Amino acid sequence: MNTPPIRFHREWLSLFQDKVETDAGWANWDRFQLAIEAAEISAVPSFDTLLCLGQLQGIEPLPHQIDVTKRVIQEMRGRAILADEVGLGKTIEAGLILKEYLIRGLVQKVLILVPSSLVLQWTRELNQKFQIPAVAQKKAWMWDKYDIVVASMDTAKRDPHREIVLNQPYDLLIVDEAHKLKNRRTKNWLFISEMQKKYCLLLTATPVQNEMEELYNLVSLLKPGQLGNESRFNKDYVAGKRMAKNEEQLRQEISQVLIRNRRKESNLPLTERIVQTIPIQLTSEEKALYDGVSSFVRDRYQTAADLKSMLSLLVLQKEVCSSRDAVFLTLFKLFKKGNEEESTVPPEVQHLIQLLRAVTTSSKAEAAVKLIESIPDKVILFTEYRATQEMLIRALAAKGIQAVPYRGGFNRNKKDWMMELFQKRAQVMIATEAGGEGINLQFCHHIINYDMPWNPMRVEQRIGRVHRLGQKNDVHIYNFATEGTIEEHIIWLLHEKIALFESVIGELETILEGLEKDHSLEKNLMDIMVSSETEEEMRNQLGQIGDKFQHAKEKHLKEQTRKEELLWTK
Amino acid sequence: MDQVVLREFTERYLQANNCHIIESAPSFLHTQLSIEADKDLVNRPFYWMYVEKMNLPANPVQLCFVFDPENPPEGKRAEYLFYGSPRFRQLLQSAQNQGKYVRLYQEPARWTQFSSLSKGYTPWVSVHYLISYVCDQKMDRIVSLGINLQSGEIKKDFGDVLQTYKWTHKLPERRYTFSPRMSIQEAVGELEYVLTEELTEEDHQWAEEADKRLRDELNQVTAFFPIEEKQTDEQKAAKTARQRECIWQYHPRIEVKLISAGFFYMEQQTNEQKG
Repeated sequence: MNTPPIRFHREWLSLFQDKVETDAGWANWDRFQLAIEAAEISAVPSFDTLLCLGQLQGIEPLPHQIDVTKRVIQEMRGRAILADEVGLGKTIEAGLILKEYLIRGLVQKVLILVPSSLVLQWTRELNQKFQIPAVAQKKAWMWDKYDIVVASMDTAKRDPHREIVLNQPYDLLIVDEAHKLKNRRTKNWLFISEMQKKYCLLLTATPVQNEMEELYNLVSLLKPGQLGNESRFNKDYVAGKRMAKNEEQLRQEISQVLIRNRRKESNLPLTERIVQTIPIQLTSEEKALYDGVSSFVRDRYQTAADLKSMLSLLVLQKEVCSSRDAVFLTLFKLFKKGNEEESTVPPEVQHLIQLLRAVTTSSKAEAAVKLIESIPDKVILFTEYRATQEMLIRALAAKGIQAVPYRGGFNRNKKDWMMELFQKRAQVMIATEAGGEGINLQFCHHIINYDMPWNPMRVEQRIGRVHRLGQKNDVHIYNFATEGTIEEHIIWLLHEKIALFESVIGELETILEGLEKDHSLEKNLMDIMVSSETEEEMRNQLGQIGDKFQHAKEKHLKEQTRKEELLWTK
Repeated sequence: MDQVVLREFTERYLQANNCHIIESAPSFLHTQLSIEADKDLVNRPFYWMYVEKMNLPANPVQLCFVFDPENPPEGKRAEYLFYGSPRFRQLLQSAQNQGKYVRLYQEPARWTQFSSLSKGYTPWVSVHYLISYVCDQKMDRIVSLGINLQSGEIKKDFGDVLQTYKWTHKLPERRYTFSPRMSIQEAVGELEYVLTEELTEEDHQWAEEADKRLRDELNQVTAFFPIEEKQTDEQKAAKTARQRECIWQYHPRIEVKLISAGFFYMEQQTNEQKG
């Protein structure tokens, strides 16, 4: 072959000539030497070694992450779908690839599009873990001013940003949660398709949620034509909406643009989960309050006019399983709002307040203190309610146990600071929020579910904070179940019927979505609770929900296995 | 890159920049930056604009670099310097900017200092090139060339020749300079010619492979879009855009950039060796 074009950059020549003519502005020998050495240090010595590994501090990439980085750069040429299962570190992989391209000088202008709730987290991780000067986009002028920008898709595709972004060629575009690009007729898809990009990474744990076409649409963003044009694709590979044909060949084509590692194959088994239900016996005063609130909720629920008051009642029912303090606040609010004109409190509420006053101890809190005292390690305790959180901090402090609070409402700095306190000083963290960004608690392996969310996703999120990649110990999960209350039933459902605690249920969210077509699971549970005449009836109905879940799960898994065959990297 | 080598490089950079070393230990360096180094290593252009506009006394910062994070200095704020840290990247960049152009005279060997003979110095131009082989991947190589401005003789690895002498920025006593017989422009033209020849004779397998990838991609694009007569305007635009992306990503080329250029006056070596 002919020599590829050679381009001499000659801007320096006239500068040099000027200096020779004026004989001024020269460096000395030492600086001359340093410049050459600096160039030698910075030079890229070969096409195919990974340089980023030698330049990172603060993370140690896992073998499968290094492998992905190499394959994306050397085989897929920088255009790839990173589709590892949740928790295997797609962000790390994208960071490694970006870092490598930056070091090699192949990439300068970079755009990272992520859901808005993750903009700050991505920015922080790139800066802290990879020393990449990424900036979170806030103002329109920032697109031009900074080379590496993290922004939300929703912002980028809107005016006035849209024009700016579409006019700017990007050396590398990264899109997180790329399953939002599965539909070719959406604004998101068209926007990404229209962008000018040299390299492109699409990150998603679920490249095909339902139809085969989704995969085609994703691949067409990266490499239109990889799977043929639409009619060819349908003819060659699609047997039905959710069914593929010529699977081996399709697998071949897909594997050239998509990498999927699974936990099983990555040799990254998670540690065990050890689940323990802690039965709590209520005192007679507590039991009286529980019964009082429950029958109050039951009466009102059946006559409740609007959804909002129904929700309040649901909350009240859950709170009474958590603490007296939590109930008090809601009761107070409920009747302040409803009875603004009336100065007298209705008798049934009066009654509840009296029951509440009679409760002077908390059996649950005592059990929590006792349990924590017996654990010689860090403990994270989750509760849904702020009043409970505060009460527990006081109760622990009274025993000389340091506990730090964690809430969704804290700003970033306070969150970071609380995390640091927990890691370095306090034995206990009491958190009201498990979702959201930034709580990674691999250094802790005891979780107390002080009260139980009725939504399995929230439970999984709680456990996921601790039981994740990097956790070196078996994780102990303690579920507090007050005997003779709805909580006992809920835990029975989640634990025995749904088997939520023992292991990670892959794609719990998708299964639940299928299950919750008409009503949310929480609403169903509430209905069962208020309509059941006997304990036995309640058990039966909850059991049915559990069976439905198992059924949906099996169906989902079966479908999933077929899809996985196409996707995962052998 | 080894932390010991990195520390040594950093210290030499600081010295070359007249930065005062306040405290030095194997695991860290505490330094008072010079104004020049502050401008290059600390990102505060507005501060320097302000100071210079208002004629205020300059106040460059002190930095403490740690090379072994296990052993930080006590009671000092320090930053970890490592290959890949932004500060070290800046330092490398600064070093490259500062050392681009030199003009130096060979320092006479000690025993000739007492000789009353005067000698003429031949002018040479030395160029260090950074050669980058670029497609969707990239590799660099550094080439050093020197050209005698009197005879037109070209030497490869000229940097190694320069290393064997001592250099001074002032013309030493009893030395005079021969004037060049070719312009800088001509000289550089000669170097580019020689370099082009060298590059042409290299193995271009990497470029062939990249070219094949490019052709494959372009074929895929052609197959993906409907034939030209049936294309909508949008499809036409999308196809062109996609073709452009492919070329942008793959097309192989060699970029030649300057690392440093020097004007060196030195004794005529060949005569010396012959004599």
